[in-house]
Amino acid sequence: MIVHINHISQSKKPRNGQRSPQSEMAGLVTGSLMSLVEDGVLDAKMAPSLRIHLDWIQYKTNFRDPVMVRRTTSSQGQALPLAEIAIDLRQADATGLPVALARAVKSLDAGPESNVDNHLYLDEYRPYRDCLIWSFNRLFWRYLGDWENASGKGFEAALPGGSSDANHPQAVSDSVADFWTLLRDLETRGQLPAEIFGLEIGVGSGARAAAWLDRFKALDEQCGTNFYSRLHFILGDYSPTSLERALAAVAHHGDHVSGVPLDALNPFKSLTAHRFKVMYVHLTNVYDNLPFDDIVRRDGKLYLVEVRAYLNGPLVDQLTADFGITRADIPGMVKTLLEGGPYAVFEGEKGVAFWRRLWDTFKLEERLRVLDDREEDHVPPGLSKTHLEDLLGEAPDDVRFHISRGAGESFANTLPLLHPRGFLQVQDIFVSEMDDYRKGFKGPGKLDGSLVTWVNGALLRAVGARAGYDVHFAPFPYRPGTKTSILYTTQRD
Amino acid sequence: MTPPLPILPTTVIGSYSMPEWLERAKNEYLSRRLSKRDLDEMHDSVRKAALKDQETAGIDIVSDGEAQRDNMIDYFTERMPGVQVDLGSKRFYYDFYDSIVRSKLATGTLGLSEEARFLGRFTDHTSKISISGPHTLVKRIQNKFYDSEEAFALDLGRVLNLELKELVRAGATQIQIDEPYYSGFPEDLPWAIKAINAMVEGVTANITLHVCYGNRYGKPSFEGSYKFLFPAILQAKINTVSMEFARRGEDDLQLFKEFNVPFSVGIGVIDVKTNEVESAGFVADRIRRALEVIPAERLVITPDCGLVRLHRDVAFGKLSAMVEGTRTVRKELGR
Repeated sequence: MIVHINHISQSKKPRNGQRSPQSEMAGLVTGSLMSLVEDGVLDAKMAPSLRIHLDWIQYKTNFRDPVMVRRTTSSQGQALPLAEIAIDLRQADATGLPVALARAVKSLDAGPESNVDNHLYLDEYRPYRDCLIWSFNRLFWRYLGDWENASGKGFEAALPGGSSDANHPQAVSDSVADFWTLLRDLETRGQLPAEIFGLEIGVGSGARAAAWLDRFKALDEQCGTNFYSRLHFILGDYSPTSLERALAAVAHHGDHVSGVPLDALNPFKSLTAHRFKVMYVHLTNVYDNLPFDDIVRRDGKLYLVEVRAYLNGPLVDQLTADFGITRADIPGMVKTLLEGGPYAVFEGEKGVAFWRRLWDTFKLEERLRVLDDREEDHVPPGLSKTHLEDLLGEAPDDVRFHISRGAGESFANTLPLLHPRGFLQVQDIFVSEMDDYRKGFKGPGKLDGSLVTWVNGALLRAVGARAGYDVHFAPFPYRPGTKTSILYTTQRD
Repeated sequence: MTPPLPILPTTVIGSYSMPEWLERAKNEYLSRRLSKRDLDEMHDSVRKAALKDQETAGIDIVSDGEAQRDNMIDYFTERMPGVQVDLGSKRFYYDFYDSIVRSKLATGTLGLSEEARFLGRFTDHTSKISISGPHTLVKRIQNKFYDSEEAFALDLGRVLNLELKELVRAGATQIQIDEPYYSGFPEDLPWAIKAINAMVEGVTANITLHVCYGNRYGKPSFEGSYKFLFPAILQAKINTVSMEFARRGEDDLQLFKEFNVPFSVGIGVIDVKTNEVESAGFVADRIRRALEVIPAERLVITPDCGLVRLHRDVAFGKLSAMVEGTRTVRKELGR
């Protein structure tokens, strides 16, 4: 048996010298599996090659049941004998774990379509990039106000820290100071353009842009540099609601600000006229909400992780009872919800309640599909296989990692906007080294209504290098304990 | 027999599209997984294909496409007598080696005449060879010997002068000197022009000085206005100055009204930093606007810079559009 412990942390151990709960659970997993071999439930011939993954999923709500069987298929989707069992030690409970493990082991013999747990499937297997979670994500941003009304709090309050790191006053002040210094240096060399462009992609409530502009104006006045009069700041977002809200927040900056509807995946498309002109681009918590794929490398072979959404049996029963519907109704209602919004399913608050319940309860079953050498669908638009080869060249042999295709695409399509001396700054949660993927769970997790996934910073570094930028990661020093870090670019020689 | 050049001659800046597979091969070579012989063979094939594409597009003055050059620095520093290069200092072919000069540059050849002979063997067109200028090399080679950048540049000018004469002996008639770093360091211009003049002294070829805003990684390295070139550049002993206008707009063309330049002007009419292929009509319009300030006899038609970052079909499309647009204007001029 090959046990992968995919979480390494020194912080879990209690001070009294006892084992941590996760150590206890890890012991229970291996002990239970050995018992299953001894009892003949787990085939002794199969046991040596069975891989067991022990995870600790940091998000309280997520897309995984405590015990999951991950099967493998050929590149064409035909079942292969290889399978693995993944356990989320955080969700698992000691009483139920041995039974859940036994069920998982038995299901290995039962075949891929056995559905021993009576799951109600909501979708087909698809790569992460195309799966149902993105339809839910889009729905959230489309009906943001309705979700917030129902939850009683704004979306920023639903972030793990309870507020957005984007708005931290000192972070804003330091960012402004760095930018002002850049402008002053260029001015000294006679290289500052007549018009100075700044850009915020993903505007949130507009609070960050407002704070940044207020601070920039104040600093400029204080130093008498007259840069503010030349500044034009662009707010870009694909959500009209967010854009409208943000523009209201910066209205006191008048003509110095404009709003542009843009797709975060391709800012360049909406701002072509600003090619090589923008001195400063900023994003917060945008990349972690963009589509990704998961790739697994096992024994030198690459697999694409495919998922299908399901509701497990007991939750289906609750849902049907609470909403007066039948099991057979559910798939059609989910489709209606994702296409037409909550009020297309039920009138009034009940529609939003149904949506919220579904979001909280559906899970994703995973399988590993062999990645054919000739396939390119997993390569983000604008990038090439060479970028991925760069990435794999620095990755450990046995690893599961994200291809942050949305982040990569957005990043690659933002860099052409940068003035040669401009810089891009991103506050987000990054995996900066490929090896870090072996040390902890990196998403996806569920937030209140939307989702979050760590961003493969190493991929962005490879993308940047090919585009003429060095990519650096610095810790976000303004909130102790935060997992946010700051990506910034410098021009590559 | 090389055909005579028409009015408004078209040419490239130097590099042609670099195939992605060749980039991979270059990296493999750096990782010692590909032999030099195999890589050289690939380079030869790509250079011949580049010549063929340019000839087919109708370019008047062609280059070999420079596939054999990793970038515009290493190709020269590796060959420069007296420059020490750390061959282990890069993993990706396009990166720069760390290079350093610790003593006075020795007199010796860089071996570029092979390029002139290659062109002589494989094309009947007028051809040109591009070479990075002293200012650019000074900005990339760590100087541990000379008292100043100016002294270093002038000595580079001396060594490169011998190389240019070698090139002429090997058949080169058109030589271009690339100086993209001028735009970032305009304060260096007085001594940078002196170094150019040292480099071209007694060289009996048509000399072009190419000054752009950089094209490394397909993006500009600097921004600004060509105003900084004047009047210092008027002292350069060159036949043509070549500049980028397609991407940046044509405002700086007015400088040629203000200053009476004693040489021809190569105007960039193709934006090499976008994959969008310009139409021939668009190119013709750009040439017509240039003709408002520069006489046709002193105008050369070029892309803004090298085509290295473009896919081959795009590069070919752009060159074809450039030639077609130029032919349209020639007809209008009755030439």
